[in-house]
Amino acid sequence: MSDPLLTVQNLSVGFRAKTGVVQAVTDVSFELRSGEVLAVVGESGSGKSVTALAMMRLHPKSAVITGHVQFDGQDLLALSEEEMRKVRGSDIAMIFQDPMTALNPVFTVGNQIVEAIRIHNDMSTEQAWTRAVELLDLVGVPEPKRRAAQYPHEYSGGMRQRAMIAMAISNDPKLLIADEPTTALDVTVQAQVMEVLHDVQQATGSAIMLITHDLGLVAGSADRVQVMYASRLFETGSIDEIFYESCNPYTRALLDSIPDLEGVKDELHPIPGNPPSLLNPPSGCPFRPRCPMAIDVCREEVPQLQPIANSHASRCHRAHELEPLTTGAAS
Amino acid sequence: MALDTSHDTAPDGPTSTAALLAAADDLEGLSEKPKSFGRLAWERFIHHKLALFGLFGLIFIALAFFVGPMFSEFDISTTDVLNRRAGPSRDHWFGTDEIGRDLFVRTARGGRYSMQIGLLTAVLSTVFGTIMGATAAYFGKAVDQIISQAMNLLLVVPALVVLAVFALKFGSTWWRLSLVLAALGWVRISRVVRGVVLSLKEQEFVMAARAAGASHFRIIFRHLLPNVIGVVAVEITLLLGATIVLESTLSFLGLGVKPPETSLGQLVADAKGSIDDDPIRVLTPGIMIVLIVLCVNFLGDGLRDALDPRSKVERG
Repeated sequence: MSDPLLTVQNLSVGFRAKTGVVQAVTDVSFELRSGEVLAVVGESGSGKSVTALAMMRLHPKSAVITGHVQFDGQDLLALSEEEMRKVRGSDIAMIFQDPMTALNPVFTVGNQIVEAIRIHNDMSTEQAWTRAVELLDLVGVPEPKRRAAQYPHEYSGGMRQRAMIAMAISNDPKLLIADEPTTALDVTVQAQVMEVLHDVQQATGSAIMLITHDLGLVAGSADRVQVMYASRLFETGSIDEIFYESCNPYTRALLDSIPDLEGVKDELHPIPGNPPSLLNPPSGCPFRPRCPMAIDVCREEVPQLQPIANSHASRCHRAHELEPLTTGAAS
Repeated sequence: MALDTSHDTAPDGPTSTAALLAAADDLEGLSEKPKSFGRLAWERFIHHKLALFGLFGLIFIALAFFVGPMFSEFDISTTDVLNRRAGPSRDHWFGTDEIGRDLFVRTARGGRYSMQIGLLTAVLSTVFGTIMGATAAYFGKAVDQIISQAMNLLLVVPALVVLAVFALKFGSTWWRLSLVLAALGWVRISRVVRGVVLSLKEQEFVMAARAAGASHFRIIFRHLLPNVIGVVAVEITLLLGATIVLESTLSFLGLGVKPPETSLGQLVADAKGSIDDDPIRVLTPGIMIVLIVLCVNFLGDGLRDALDPRSKVERG
């Protein structure tokens, strides 16, 4: 296989706070190939969004970043701000969580797509406008010609997210980062937006990094899954490996907490306790205080990411002792 | 077409999402032809009765001030010694002062100066204040500290005293007076803009613009400032009014434009001695000040509504 499009090595992000350094991302390494869809899953504050922002160098100034982000032959963390600006929006594009505020309220949607195109391309406004209308059509905005001349407040939430996707793909990015693209939308619209993302991925062949806390969303759309907890990668593997052969108690707890529409489950299974403070993480494994399988060694040592199979790895001292899951609804 | 059938016949049949979305649009009444921003803003503006009143009022006053004196045989310094302290008449529409100068011509000239000073000051303060306020808020940290402290410094300084000193030293012509007024006036606009941008920059579209590769310069000028126009339009008119009043105050204190030139405030000051036996002499320039300021404020109100793309054209 060819070289990966994106290689993240030992990425760590800390935020200087008054009371110390908050470690938001700790030693994260992963790869992403062209055309691949990688889902990054985790609770709020697990570091998934910060990882993406740090990759694009859009983090707040108070952040301290170490590690390497190799993208398409260049180290993004070593680029100048000027060079980085050329990468953003053209090679790597991003879709944000809240389509309500991610579009500028005083410009028409078409205008904003035109701007996104013209930042990176030497194209006349008319040409760019034609392209904007085509893009809106591609993401399934009905009557794109008329819609392009409308303002964001005239769009519904789902339509705005489609417009955001159109804007993000306007320069044929090699990598599309979608930061919780459906969190602010209701369930039926979520499905439509995911479908659009899928179609777009098929059409453009770009890689997608899908950040979400919704495992249900992941199941239908991703090739590989990466589970993050308390700033660390906890498990990584193919979709089947994560959903059916998970070797990590945290992943299993997450899977168990998904409400089931058809099964006999009549109550939810939340994970007891709260995620640990990133300012004063507990000793040993950060999941230890909430883990049903914790043993003495978990208190003393932070577990390493242990290889399970080819592409499958889990951060747990007892990873190899875990029985393979049979089905999601077995319990 | 698909919409109609699914609607009437089969509530349990699969309804295409596209049709549903189209239906939703029709309900919102969005299917009319799109209009350009300028056209929409204009439509909103001409439906704003007070704003129209303000606009035509200003045009009328300006015309009267610029064209009116041409129909009079008098100049601002010609004295009609036979008609001193005269009331309004056919020759002297607003009467004359104690040395027989025509008060209409003087009011017109004074009004012109007041309007010029007000306009230039408002424009200068707005441009400078908006850029400073947006820069302070967008970059934050040290930049914000420096600009904000400079603004605070200018705010605690008693404006009238500074103005008096500077006006004495530099304020011999109307545009110099205007510069001095603007040097203090930008703070107000700057504070308002800073506040708005502080909240705007936290919105995701700023991050989205950065993620699309936009530079700081582009974000401030293309994304943030257009969002501020509505607020600034109001501030600029308030400032214009305040400047005319402040200039009048300065002139009243004898620190404004120098004789033989005059301004509305100067005219009020000239007339203050005769307020008992000739109140109209004080009232005419005073009413002019009030009218100009009122019209400008109405205009600003209308502009704010017109420039906000979220506001709808008033129905009926």
